[in-house]
Amino acid sequence: MDTFLNILVAGLLLGGIYSLVSIGLNLVFGVLRVVNFAHGAVVMVALYVTYFFYAVFGLDPYIAVVLVVPIMFVFGMGIYWFILRPLQDEPMMQTFATFGLLIVLQNTVLAITRGEPHSMNTELSRLVFSIGPLNVSAVRALSLVVATIIAGGLAAALRYTLTGKAIRGLIQDRPVGVLMGINVRQMYTLCVGMSAALAGVAAALLAPIYSLSPGLGDDFILPAFAVVVLGGLGSTMGAYFGGLLVGIIEALAGFYIDPTLKQAIWFLVFIAVLILRPSGLMGRLGAEEVGLRGNA
Amino acid sequence: MFAKRLLMASVLALSVLGSTAIHAQDKLKIGIINPFSGSLALYGDQLARGYEIAAEEQNAHGGVLGKQIELIRGDAGTPQQAIAAVQRLQDAGVSAFIGTYISAVSNAASDAAAQYDKIYWDTNALAQDLTDRGLPNFIRSGPSAGLFGEVATKAVVELVAPALAKSPKQIRVWIEHEDSIYGTSIADRERQLLTQAGVQVVGVGSHAARAIDLTDSVLRAKGATPDVWLSTSYQPDGTLLLRTMRDQGFKPPAIVMIGAGDSPDALQALGADGLSGLLIVTYPAAEQNQAYGPGGHEFLETYRKKYGRDPLVPHPLTAYVGAKMLFETIAAAGGTGPAAVRAAAAKLNHPVGTYANGFGAKFDANFQNTLALPTVVQWQSGKLLTVYPVQASLPGTKITDLPRK
Amino acid sequence: MDTAIPRAGEADAPARQTPTIQRTGGPASRPVWPHLLGLLVLLLPIYLLRGNPFWIGILAFTYLFAGLAASWNIIAGFGGQFSLAHGVFFGVGAYTVALLYLRAGISPWLGLLPAMLLGAVISALISWPTFRLRGPFFAIATMALNEVAAVFANYFDHLTGGPRGLLIPFRAGLANMIFVERWKYALLTGMFMVLVVIVSLVLLRSRLGYYLLAVREDEDAARAAGIPALRVKILGMMISAALTAMGGGLFAMFVRVIDPPTLFSLQDVGVKFALLTLIGGMGTIWGPVLGAMLIVPLENFLRTWLSDVLPGGHYIVLGLFMILAARFMKRGVVGAYLTLIRRRRA
Repeated sequence: MDTFLNILVAGLLLGGIYSLVSIGLNLVFGVLRVVNFAHGAVVMVALYVTYFFYAVFGLDPYIAVVLVVPIMFVFGMGIYWFILRPLQDEPMMQTFATFGLLIVLQNTVLAITRGEPHSMNTELSRLVFSIGPLNVSAVRALSLVVATIIAGGLAAALRYTLTGKAIRGLIQDRPVGVLMGINVRQMYTLCVGMSAALAGVAAALLAPIYSLSPGLGDDFILPAFAVVVLGGLGSTMGAYFGGLLVGIIEALAGFYIDPTLKQAIWFLVFIAVLILRPSGLMGRLGAEEVGLRGNA
Repeated sequence: MFAKRLLMASVLALSVLGSTAIHAQDKLKIGIINPFSGSLALYGDQLARGYEIAAEEQNAHGGVLGKQIELIRGDAGTPQQAIAAVQRLQDAGVSAFIGTYISAVSNAASDAAAQYDKIYWDTNALAQDLTDRGLPNFIRSGPSAGLFGEVATKAVVELVAPALAKSPKQIRVWIEHEDSIYGTSIADRERQLLTQAGVQVVGVGSHAARAIDLTDSVLRAKGATPDVWLSTSYQPDGTLLLRTMRDQGFKPPAIVMIGAGDSPDALQALGADGLSGLLIVTYPAAEQNQAYGPGGHEFLETYRKKYGRDPLVPHPLTAYVGAKMLFETIAAAGGTGPAAVRAAAAKLNHPVGTYANGFGAKFDANFQNTLALPTVVQWQSGKLLTVYPVQASLPGTKITDLPRK
Repeated sequence: MDTAIPRAGEADAPARQTPTIQRTGGPASRPVWPHLLGLLVLLLPIYLLRGNPFWIGILAFTYLFAGLAASWNIIAGFGGQFSLAHGVFFGVGAYTVALLYLRAGISPWLGLLPAMLLGAVISALISWPTFRLRGPFFAIATMALNEVAAVFANYFDHLTGGPRGLLIPFRAGLANMIFVERWKYALLTGMFMVLVVIVSLVLLRSRLGYYLLAVREDEDAARAAGIPALRVKILGMMISAALTAMGGGLFAMFVRVIDPPTLFSLQDVGVKFALLTLIGGMGTIWGPVLGAMLIVPLENFLRTWLSDVLPGGHYIVLGLFMILAARFMKRGVVGAYLTLIRRRRA
């Protein structure tokens, strides 16, 4: 029982990491309907920016985040203006371009760092709470807490602010949204910028957990896609709970079946859920009917 | 615009190609097959630096067969890229190939080199199959997965067991490995040898090197309460495993690692205290006892002078030694034909402690160097000290902090 | 930023009413011979490059990937189903041909048939449930399947050789499909490309082809018009998968070293088919072929001349090229060409 509880907590904490990475992806995927392959690479870039402040100025990642987030926001706006906006009506080409961006980002970092792995070691990263049989790493717990706050905050912002309502309008019905006078470009710029800014937040929280390497983002992107689809297109809370669910399934499958098979197992669960409930766990029914070319 | 640049680049490239062709007569060209792009580029580059230092040294002493050595890099991270790289280097007129960081690349590249009847000299790829498949042009100067497994077993039986005041039969080992050919083949050999030595293997766990989380792997091992946690991994997953073990309060009395734990990054991530007592089976370090590895210090000096910093991993020294051994063999063979080189290699008989990393040279029937022995190093107050074999360690070095606190 | 309502067809997009059917053909009425002539021209480099082993090797890969992209285009371009599971069929083909040859001594020429059959059957099994999904949902679910296949291929090592992979020894001979002369490989993969293009041509002139296009344009309308949409999509997928499996078999015999990371790599296999097709022009006969002709040699050229200078340098250039290509050829090479012609005429 103790072991089971421990696994469950480990899964929940992993879920926090998945949610953290997925919420930003969900904004772009849900609003712009772009399968953004580069999102993992954007998180990776944010991690290296964080590392830059850590190595050069000795800034703790949790402090550097106040610099990293605005930098990433601008970076995200750049991605929208230079790559996604010119391809507005060609979702497949947008996807294609994000793949090109992924390759560029990953290899630029490789060229600069020569691929040397780096780690950040903070005081907090060694802190572990032991509650009975449970061991909870402080930095992982914090990731889960922040993911919860972001998910809740973002969901509330989408529900109650005017901008949020405009974005939700675009998620639900783009042409009508346009007719209602929503400035699509402005909203899209905001969303992609926010998405990258959230990657910056994720980077600060992941910094004490992982070794940095240019390929790190790749490892996140596929699970993140699955989480977003599982949770439901454009549903922030869906991405949050989808992340937790994937984390828990992965930990349980890894421990009780086999760590090498865990990814295959939760992917199969993912596909099964998707087939039974194509709109995702918390998505609007019928959202899946909107195809890649779905501007209709 | 882009087309124009491309054109200019190609013109430039062709002119470079042309100019090298003019001087081709007095050069012995050797092709380096390694990943120079992609996630493993760092390691390919590190190996290539070892070869470059060896070549410069050799050239300063008159080269090989009266010719200066010229190294040409061929970028290959996958088998299909390996074939293309071999073809390109073949066109560039290389007489022999050297490599490789990735076993699958070595596999395809050496096979392609065989079709051109060119020797493929491997200094670093580990997969057992490479020498077992009977390719007529393949020679491996460095250790195989099997040799790593053997030294890891010795570390458990000869170093860890006495330090824990137990007989090998009382020792419980958990074998953890990443699930590609590299980790799998070392783990297979470890299990076989440890079982033969009477050690209890309480579990074998495998994980994907790219896994986001390894808590499950750590908890599985923790549940088996081993005395020794023996792991083979790449660096990022190795570091993640160590961090997760710390978080989960999994403190086996001894940790033995292959492929991770000995990098600057591991020290960054876990600190001197977090690594203290950790044993690592690895390519020999340049800092080891010079009586065992004569010339290691000079290599390190040259490396620092040439590249402005220390090697990031111990691989370059072994690559350097492998290249030196290749030059020696070509000189003895009087040519670069695979049959002649193999005949000369078969005659090599240098005891352990001959080369700068402590390797000897004695090839078996499959042309695996049987005297290419990995060493064991231990973290002691933030420094890596060679502890096995005893001749390789500096005077006064002792195993400390075992069982680990 | 003050124009709240964008001009129609700018930020939003009913602009897609360009008749896409016309782009792909209005097929039956058009003659076939220009296509066949084009194929012949594309095979010409085999003769021209026969003395250059490096470039003829690249050429062989180019033809192979042209054929593979064209196979993918059948279901993705004509049928509108953006599958990223084609790595699975590619892997199934490679393993089937290699295993039949290694374990049962069956010539790869014969082995291609069961490989294609197996690829088609597996694709049908995969498609049945996943075709409920549309657009990006289908793409991501199929991408997940590719990863599942990679994990299983690594895990069930008694069948696939696991992480060790399979090694096909070099025994040259026509029956073994192993050649000393590189140009024979180029001829072989060139023929594969020709086969896939001809299948595409025939398909576009068949009832199934029209049904596929109809499903792509509007699945609900197609269904309302009495087209059995699911069956049409599955049939299209099976043809596409069978050809992909064939390409996988040829890949196995050419490289002769296959292992899970090589076969199920998204960047080098599964997603690559899509990238080549997109850059050439989705849903056109020549798009995938031209995409491969452009990208595969370019990639190798850049790798050869840039990776010594800067680690990953050639990927940076390639990635930038992809972004610019997307920016300036939104509908691929073929689309850009058609636009050019249209402008001339106008």
